[in-house]
Amino acid sequence: MKKIINVTINNKPCELAVESNQTLADLLRYDFGLTGTKKGCDTGDCGACTVILDGDTVNSCLVLAVQADGSMVETIEGLSNEDGLHPLQKAFVEKGAIQCGFCSPGMIMSAKNLLDKNDNPSDWEIKEGISGNLCRCTGYQKIFEAISSQCSKPNSDINPNINQGGPHGKI
Amino acid sequence: MLLPKFEFHEPASIQEAIELKKKYRTDARLLAGGTDLLVHLKKKLITTDHVISLLRIKDLGQIKNNKESVEIGACVTMARLSESKVIQENFCAIKAGADNLGTHLIRNRATLGGNVCNASPAADTICSLIVYQAHALLESTDGKRELPIESFFMSPGKTDIRDNEILTGFKLSIPGKNCGAHYIQLGKRKSSEINIVNVASFIQFDPSDQTIMNSRIALGSVAATPIRSFHAEKILQNKKASESLFYEAGEAARHKDCKPIDDFRGTADYRKAMIGVLTKRTLDAAFKQVQAQ
Ligand SMILES: Cc1cc2nc3c(=O)[nH]c(=O)nc-3n(C[C@H](O)[C@H](O)[C@H](O)COP(=O)(O)OP(=O)(O)OC[C@H]3O[C@@H](n4cnc5c(N)ncnc54)[C@H](O)[C@@H]3O)c2cc1C
Ligand code: FES
Ligand code: FES
Repeated sequence: MKKIINVTINNKPCELAVESNQTLADLLRYDFGLTGTKKGCDTGDCGACTVILDGDTVNSCLVLAVQADGSMVETIEGLSNEDGLHPLQKAFVEKGAIQCGFCSPGMIMSAKNLLDKNDNPSDWEIKEGISGNLCRCTGYQKIFEAISSQCSKPNSDINPNINQGGPHGKI
Repeated sequence: MLLPKFEFHEPASIQEAIELKKKYRTDARLLAGGTDLLVHLKKKLITTDHVISLLRIKDLGQIKNNKESVEIGACVTMARLSESKVIQENFCAIKAGADNLGTHLIRNRATLGGNVCNASPAADTICSLIVYQAHALLESTDGKRELPIESFFMSPGKTDIRDNEILTGFKLSIPGKNCGAHYIQLGKRKSSEINIVNVASFIQFDPSDQTIMNSRIALGSVAATPIRSFHAEKILQNKKASESLFYEAGEAARHKDCKPIDDFRGTADYRKAMIGVLTKRTLDAAFKQVQAQ
């Protein structure tokens, strides 16, 4: 059975009917043609479908479209404007943080949300902030450098040790 | 992966939700963050005709501080738990689990109620809820019921919740002074990993001479449900805290209290050995907290 929802996608309010078993990822891709949001696993493991829902990043493959009723959704397509790419997107290009590009939209949405909430994250916070986004190509280092370059105080002394100790609760 | 077709309900109050649950019983599944339910539906591990979303019920999304106790709504997310001051200050073992469950994307959706009702023996919040002696708050059209969390779990994926009930939240007494607690999980990597083993410990000291008056230790991933480590607790009772005592407790947990299985994540022997290590480490950390008070 279809339900009517009101949802604001990249600042554009819209009203439409959705199937109750449709995910937000499918709504974006098939109803809106916003195919920047990718589907990798469809089960919450890879982060390719990352979008920002009411200010928080989510796996859009694990959110029902009906649950987005009354919400604001930001996707990768909402980042660029008439002046061109978002600075974070530019940094990904310039630092070589994109290879096949499949993970990039999700990775950039996670990074954007991280920087929106904290414009000067630590190395650890950057790594933690993209820990839900898998990349099969880059080895993460260049992605890390691209995000690092967009911090308010870019860290020139990049620590390449991806395994540095985490917050408590972990060995 | 397609989700099967179902009818979707979005009650705005607990009353509406329990009426829907009464009407549909086992034909309906409750949906909180969906990070377990939607995966299970997609993988066709379960089916359902009705999905009742709890996320629009404001009461379920709150953390209420009643001074001596705290009530955590079933739909409070891991991200909210991590940020909450009352949780940080009084229930750091819950925070340690919430901080590390899944990935930051999952933590923005995954709820405490969902983690508990999913009833995985490896779940990241249950051991801590057990050592804090949390009570599960259940509600149906027949009334309310309160259950000690320890007796809530029957087997993997199965809890003592009735067909017409929903879990509305948890009640936890705020531990007094001279108490410390900690939780550690061991996975193969830091993010999005199902635990090989996980342990929570809670200890209460006599401030005059640092003897242990009370302790509770819960072990995860070593039985069909998270379990208490009674032998380890007995070793601690009325003894003065020391590293060697904590080691001894760890060895008791390892050899007497757990019966893990071999699987691809780890052998039973490895799990046992790590239960010993984590029990000792969580006790050490809990003791250090008390010393720092
Ligand atoms: C990629 C990934 C990584 C994960 N990593 C971890 C991890 O590291 N540690 C861990 O413990 N878990 C992990 N999980 C599992 C899951 O995220 C957690 O168990 C989460 O807390 C479930 O909460 P939810 O709100 O999403 O539950 P849902 O999926 O909405 O519900 C789970 C179950 O509980 C029932 N339920 C939910 N709320 C209620 C209620 N109020 N009353 C009665 N029944 C209810 C539902 O009907 C369903 O059966 C992971 C999942 C994914 C997809
Ligand atoms: S497609 Fe959503 S997490 Fe992989
Ligand atoms: S660039 Fe190919 S997956 Fe990341």
